[in-house]
Amino acid sequence: MQDYLSTFVRSIFMENMLFAYFLGMCSFLAISKNVKTAFGLGIAVTFVLFVTLPVNYLLENYVLKQGALNWLGESFAEVDLSFLSLIIFIAVVASIVQLLEMIIEKFLPGLYNSLGIFLPLIAVNCAILGGSLFMQQKDFPSTGVATIYGLGSGIGWLMAITGMAAIREKLQYSDIPKPLKGLGIAFIITALMGLGFMSFSGIKI
Amino acid sequence: MNEKNKAILFNPLSKDNPVTVQMLGICSALAVTSKLEPAVIMAISVTAVIAFSNLIISLIRNSVPGRIRIIVQLLVVAALVTVINEILKAFAYDVSKQLSVFIGLIVTNCIVMGRLEAFALGNKPWPSFLDGIGNGLGYGLILVIVGFFRELFGSGTLWGFRLIPEAFYEAGYANNGLMILPPMALILVACVIWIHRSKDKNLQEK
Amino acid sequence: MNKEGNTYTLIYSVVIVVLVALLLAVTSQTLRPKQAQNEAIDKIRQILTSINLSSTNSNAEQLYKEYITDAYLVDAQGNRTEGDAFDTEPAAELTKPEAERKYPVFEATIDGNKKYILSMRGAGLWGPIWGFISLDDDKNTVYGASFSHEGETPGLGAEIEKPEFTKEFIGKKFFDKAGNFVSIAVVKAGKTVQGQDYVDGISGGTITSQGVNAMLKASIGAYEPFLKIKL
Repeated sequence: MQDYLSTFVRSIFMENMLFAYFLGMCSFLAISKNVKTAFGLGIAVTFVLFVTLPVNYLLENYVLKQGALNWLGESFAEVDLSFLSLIIFIAVVASIVQLLEMIIEKFLPGLYNSLGIFLPLIAVNCAILGGSLFMQQKDFPSTGVATIYGLGSGIGWLMAITGMAAIREKLQYSDIPKPLKGLGIAFIITALMGLGFMSFSGIKI
Repeated sequence: MNEKNKAILFNPLSKDNPVTVQMLGICSALAVTSKLEPAVIMAISVTAVIAFSNLIISLIRNSVPGRIRIIVQLLVVAALVTVINEILKAFAYDVSKQLSVFIGLIVTNCIVMGRLEAFALGNKPWPSFLDGIGNGLGYGLILVIVGFFRELFGSGTLWGFRLIPEAFYEAGYANNGLMILPPMALILVACVIWIHRSKDKNLQEK
Repeated sequence: MNKEGNTYTLIYSVVIVVLVALLLAVTSQTLRPKQAQNEAIDKIRQILTSINLSSTNSNAEQLYKEYITDAYLVDAQGNRTEGDAFDTEPAAELTKPEAERKYPVFEATIDGNKKYILSMRGAGLWGPIWGFISLDDDKNTVYGASFSHEGETPGLGAEIEKPEFTKEFIGKKFFDKAGNFVSIAVVKAGKTVQGQDYVDGISGGTITSQGVNAMLKASIGAYEPFLKIKL
């Protein structure tokens, strides 16, 4: 139980995908102009992370790792397919994203229109592949922990993008030097938020 | 090379820069720029990946079924990245050790997918290849600028060589620790944008 | 043939997947020997660094033959057992139950004195970190250390492999005066700890430094029975 809780809290705050690793910046900057869209994208990212991590975890541990094919018989014990891991992970992510795209298009056309080109780009949201790559490196003890890690990372990202969007909505009324307007100031705010989140990194659970 | 191809190749360096104008490919830009050397290697790897994935996708663009195009694109990109990773491991082991995680993350560098979707799917192979090179260089340019300042002020070195003389340190100069921290990369990119947009007023946002 | 039809899509995806898989398998197979050689040389150089010898890719194997006089495995009770020390991966050993794990020990002879080289493995910020530490023949005082990592942030956590960091360990002791294993702590620069030796961590690389701290405690702790056998 403690495993679950500490993984969950760590992935939201201390190891926040966005502020600690700066993953998923592209869609973060492009979509964070209004809270509602940002929230929608955040939910989509959380969902994709939540679904892809356990799938990739099982693939990693039962197919790709050296010795992972042991269950097929002794002669497979030496097979090492890890050179395929990047491709398999991204394929899983892309299929789930495409599935999500179809569901959203069918049931939430409003959200679909406002997400525009960025919905297919979720597949290349670094946060999502990053989640799977971290899972591979951190060698989680069970599928449950990997799932919780996915959920936590997603929620952390959702929080970051929603907060950012809220700040940017207010920014419209501020007097910013012209060349910094838009993208420039967004970078600076992200940096400041990132510095703030660094204070979490000392906490131990 | 005709005018059109020239524009395709050189526009991304400034007017159409992928990082500062198109807002693509920022994720992996940050983590590798605390030193100049990994930044340069990263820039070269990314340029190679964009150029060749643009070329391949453009070659097969007319035969890809629309429904699975994203997966096909990702497959091509991921394969290229894996190949580059394996090559670095075999021939430049020390550098590959420094970059390992970040090389994998090139797959999700939105610059690659962004260019595939926006350019390679609708253009002939040769212009697509040039577009890839141009965008890779434009991206690399930002990486190198940021890496240059971060290494110089953060560690007092460039490409590993000490530039700031010992006498400075004895006189009380200290390396700026903030430069090494990831958020500083964002602030430096913001400065680049600031300067870039003060020069080119067309790019300013309303 | 209809480009959007199911059959076409299916055939197309199968063909492209097979092509890509073949390409990758071929690349991976052709480059593997070269990679394996790189890895072996890299490991040799790390071992040599831990006894304060600098080497190049070309002379590493020769230096290794010259200085490393013995290599063997010890079990959890500290007894010497069967097995190839160089090919034993600490990462693979960690997945086994504690009682079955084996730990590699390399012996080097430098100016007629015996040094023990122990292997370590732990986790940093981004991924695994590992290293070797060499002890004088009292099996307590550090003679040299080397650390490596897979993907720590350049300029921050990656600094653990720099001599500025590893040199700090020289002369530090793993056991306190009463003979208890207390490890060597890695602390924030300027901080101190009571009851054990300590070195300054990397500023800005806090999580990696904590990883080194935990790795020393766990990995060298596992050698405790072996280290307590005095000759």
